[in-house]
Amino acid sequence: MKDCDIAVVGGGLLGSAFAYGLTGSQPGGQCNGDRRVLLLDEGDDAIRTARGNFGLVWVQGKGRGMPAYARWSLQSSREWVAFAADLREETGVDTGHHRCGGFNLALDEAELAANVALLETLRSEAGEAGYEFEVMPRQRLLQFLPQIGPRVPGATYCPHDGHVNPLQLLRALQAGFQRRGGEYAPRRAVRRIAALPGGGFELFGAAGAAPLARAEKVVIAAGHGSPALGAPLGLRAPVVPVQGQVLVTERSATPLRYPTNYVRRTDEGTFMLGPSARDVGFDLDTETATLRDIARQCSRAFPFLRSLRVQRSWAALRIMTPDGFPVYEQSASHPGAFSFACHSGVTLAAVHARRVACWVLDGRIPTNYHCFGAERFDVQATHAAH
Amino acid sequence: MNPSAEVIVIGAGPAGMAAAIELTGLGITVQVVDEQPAPGGQVYRAVERVHDERAEDLALLGEQYADGLELVRRFRNCGAELRAGSAVWELAVDESRSAAPVALHCLREGRVEQLGARHAILACGAMERPTPFPGWTLPGVMGVGAAQTLLKDAALLPAGNVVLAGSGPLLYLFAWQLLRAGVRPARVLDTTPWPSRNVLSALPAALLRAAPELLRGWRWLRELHRAGLPFERRVDGLRALPDAADARLAQVEFRRAGGAWQRLDAELLLVHDGVIPNTWLGMSAGCAHHWDAAQQCWAPRLDADLCSSRAPLSIAGDAGGIGGSDAARLRGRIAALGVARRIGPAVAARAAARAGELAGWRAELQPLAALRRFLDAHYPAAGLFRRPSDETIVCRCEEVSAGEIRRCAALGVVGPNQGKAFTRCGMGPCMGRECGTSVGRLIADHHGLAMDEVGHYRIRPPLRPITVGQLADLQLDGDDAEGASRGATTFARLLGDDGGDGGGADASAGDAGPRDGPGRSA
Amino acid sequence: MYKRRTPPTEPVRILFEGREIIAARGESLAAALLAAGVERFGESPLSGSPRAPFCMIGNCYECLLEIDGEAARQACLTRVREGMLVQRRARGLAGADRAAEGGDDEPQR
Repeated sequence: MKDCDIAVVGGGLLGSAFAYGLTGSQPGGQCNGDRRVLLLDEGDDAIRTARGNFGLVWVQGKGRGMPAYARWSLQSSREWVAFAADLREETGVDTGHHRCGGFNLALDEAELAANVALLETLRSEAGEAGYEFEVMPRQRLLQFLPQIGPRVPGATYCPHDGHVNPLQLLRALQAGFQRRGGEYAPRRAVRRIAALPGGGFELFGAAGAAPLARAEKVVIAAGHGSPALGAPLGLRAPVVPVQGQVLVTERSATPLRYPTNYVRRTDEGTFMLGPSARDVGFDLDTETATLRDIARQCSRAFPFLRSLRVQRSWAALRIMTPDGFPVYEQSASHPGAFSFACHSGVTLAAVHARRVACWVLDGRIPTNYHCFGAERFDVQATHAAH
Repeated sequence: MNPSAEVIVIGAGPAGMAAAIELTGLGITVQVVDEQPAPGGQVYRAVERVHDERAEDLALLGEQYADGLELVRRFRNCGAELRAGSAVWELAVDESRSAAPVALHCLREGRVEQLGARHAILACGAMERPTPFPGWTLPGVMGVGAAQTLLKDAALLPAGNVVLAGSGPLLYLFAWQLLRAGVRPARVLDTTPWPSRNVLSALPAALLRAAPELLRGWRWLRELHRAGLPFERRVDGLRALPDAADARLAQVEFRRAGGAWQRLDAELLLVHDGVIPNTWLGMSAGCAHHWDAAQQCWAPRLDADLCSSRAPLSIAGDAGGIGGSDAARLRGRIAALGVARRIGPAVAARAAARAGELAGWRAELQPLAALRRFLDAHYPAAGLFRRPSDETIVCRCEEVSAGEIRRCAALGVVGPNQGKAFTRCGMGPCMGRECGTSVGRLIADHHGLAMDEVGHYRIRPPLRPITVGQLADLQLDGDDAEGASRGATTFARLLGDDGGDGGGADASAGDAGPRDGPGRSA
Repeated sequence: MYKRRTPPTEPVRILFEGREIIAARGESLAAALLAAGVERFGESPLSGSPRAPFCMIGNCYECLLEIDGEAARQACLTRVREGMLVQRRARGLAGADRAAEGGDDEPQR
């Protein structure tokens, strides 16, 4: 059994970012000190949403109805540059982060109108805190994305958008965490967390076995496993799976200078094609019709893709909250327990590592982030009941 | 969709052909799909063409090969529909599609085709066990099986200095075939270890039950020795060295256990370390696999009827576990009867009438199994390839070295899928066919885990090259009248489609903020 | 690396990188090219090292070529056809191509 100061449950993009942040001294000396951090993770053959990410570090279009989330995404996007640099310097891993601006392409006029309307709504909600964006009709778009297909009417561009290699991000976080003295414990799936009478927590794997770990504080970042783990501690993580599939092409010399919501060129020279969403529970099988739809929509966006070979496909299960915004919770009955869930683990990785980790160390979620608590769904449910 | 046949057989090798003959004999409609232009699989590759165009090569290739001709002819006449030149890029099982739970997507002459059936028998055969060693990616280094395929398919013979390395019956058979063709390998670097206790314990049963096969093998070896073929035994080190331009193989370096490194000039180095089942199709369809310790490979979990863990799929022949071509024929028939018993009452009755034959086939498998146990023990997977040096490339497609895999294992990677995420091994075109076992082994060795605990790559389509355009142009059942996507509607609904949160805004798979999630919008 | 046992009885003419090659009817394209002395089919993606077929049965993917305009087919699974046009595939990546990447922040590898 392992003794530690903080146990992080879940070695995905959230858990690894928290673990990395918890072991470090933060820039600007925000939180320092040595502490023993243990990162508990499942084995190789688990849901592992972190392996299925598209890799966008995205701001535009986010947070309608919750300007705080739009601001949070923008902040993270800004912090990402230093975050990536720190990771590279510390671990040698290049996450391939580019903050070069990004495009939400529209494949027809209706989609363009909808995207523009959304951005205008977000701007009016944000007031002073709004960010720049540009509506680009086709003629202007061609200057940036000359390979755009003939039926694309235009796009919206935001200079704060970017992309990264999400797998290398995960690798860098885990490498950085371990270099800083954190302990990574794979094949230790946590199934139950019990609060100890004198304070602290015990974490159990298989039923009936001795505890895997004991910790003063516990951070639950277990994706689809979070709801069950947090419930006994009064923590809510109302998440459901939404399947997404991605196609990856072979390497190609054709350039694509900016990431888009449909297609991006990876730092390895392959193209990633998305997006999709299916409500199929915990099914991780790809579906041919969906792969076909992705191929179709992306070749409409960029016809040159048609001649490229599909190298691989995969499916992953997004961690989807009812409104799509993060759920950040601290247990009222056991203040040392936290639960964090969201499906934008890539965009928010910077603030998760550099800010949220500090909340855990300080022992409280700052008041202005209480809007991310799960109570907001109670309010909505009351409204919905009418 | 409507089924295109009652049963689809994937692979027209000995197992597939035997299965098709048995099924059609019971009145079942069968389609046989094979990516080669003619039936025969690998063991009887191009046997019809060899017979028609260069019959003298039949003697050269040996009796076992020529025996395939009769099976191929019976298969041609059995009434199964052969779809040759058809590469399966996706195999999907959906048991809710009761008429045709098995769906195949194939590529033939650049056109995508869809087939469907109630059952399928996978008979994809075997592949050579991957053999990572320094320099193995150089032009001029190939598998022994590859060279044998060239001999069968195109009557090609190695030119210049050819060195054979490895162990196993195929290696000795090919050396024997080369001698008969007038080609003399410059050296045979034999990695077979001293016989272990396993060998000695497996020998009596093999002698008792499979004496003729053992004798045949022993005769090949005797002829090789009589021909004075230079053997180096207990080779435990092997390297392929490039020419000055780094363009191709120029020399082979080897070491005998306890000896010094020696060099040979070579134009061609042919390596062989046994064969393993071709599991990619079964794995992609979700069939459960386990690690077979005796054969050091992944093999599907099969019941007595060779049915896999996904009920409409059975797996016959070497794809289900290495047994050789004679065993493959028997297992093809066994699988066929197993499928027939599940098709419907009338067919099941006819199948039941063959119970005596079925018992006979099972009995015939016993001596072959005894022989196989002996061969597995005598020619185990070579330690030399199981523990590649750090600089050896393990993933050919993405140039990932053994050292990099070991570093990731030290970082806590406990399985090949995490290894793939961190290093790209297995992400290349071969989808891990040539690196899967090596990567798994490296991780298992580091952590002291069993291979079953480490697991294998998760395999997804496409299993053969298909372009984005070919995929985009697919017409599928369930499309609406304009062949349009159902996906967009689902997408918008799941990630919010009221008030303008359209697909564009939330499109990325990683990041977006929808208004409605599942359960609220339905 | 390889030689023919006998010259092709039913020759088939194909063009490889503009060069005429005599193949034998019924054989695979990979076999025809190997018999004609072709030793480089492609390159490894990162180091650019030359590669040639390894397995001959469709598992290693070292024989991918552009065949009759189709971007990527496995030569070991393709029969020769009279007049077939075969090219090596365009060099994928790395080096010069990366310069085409946009953005202000180039990764320094």
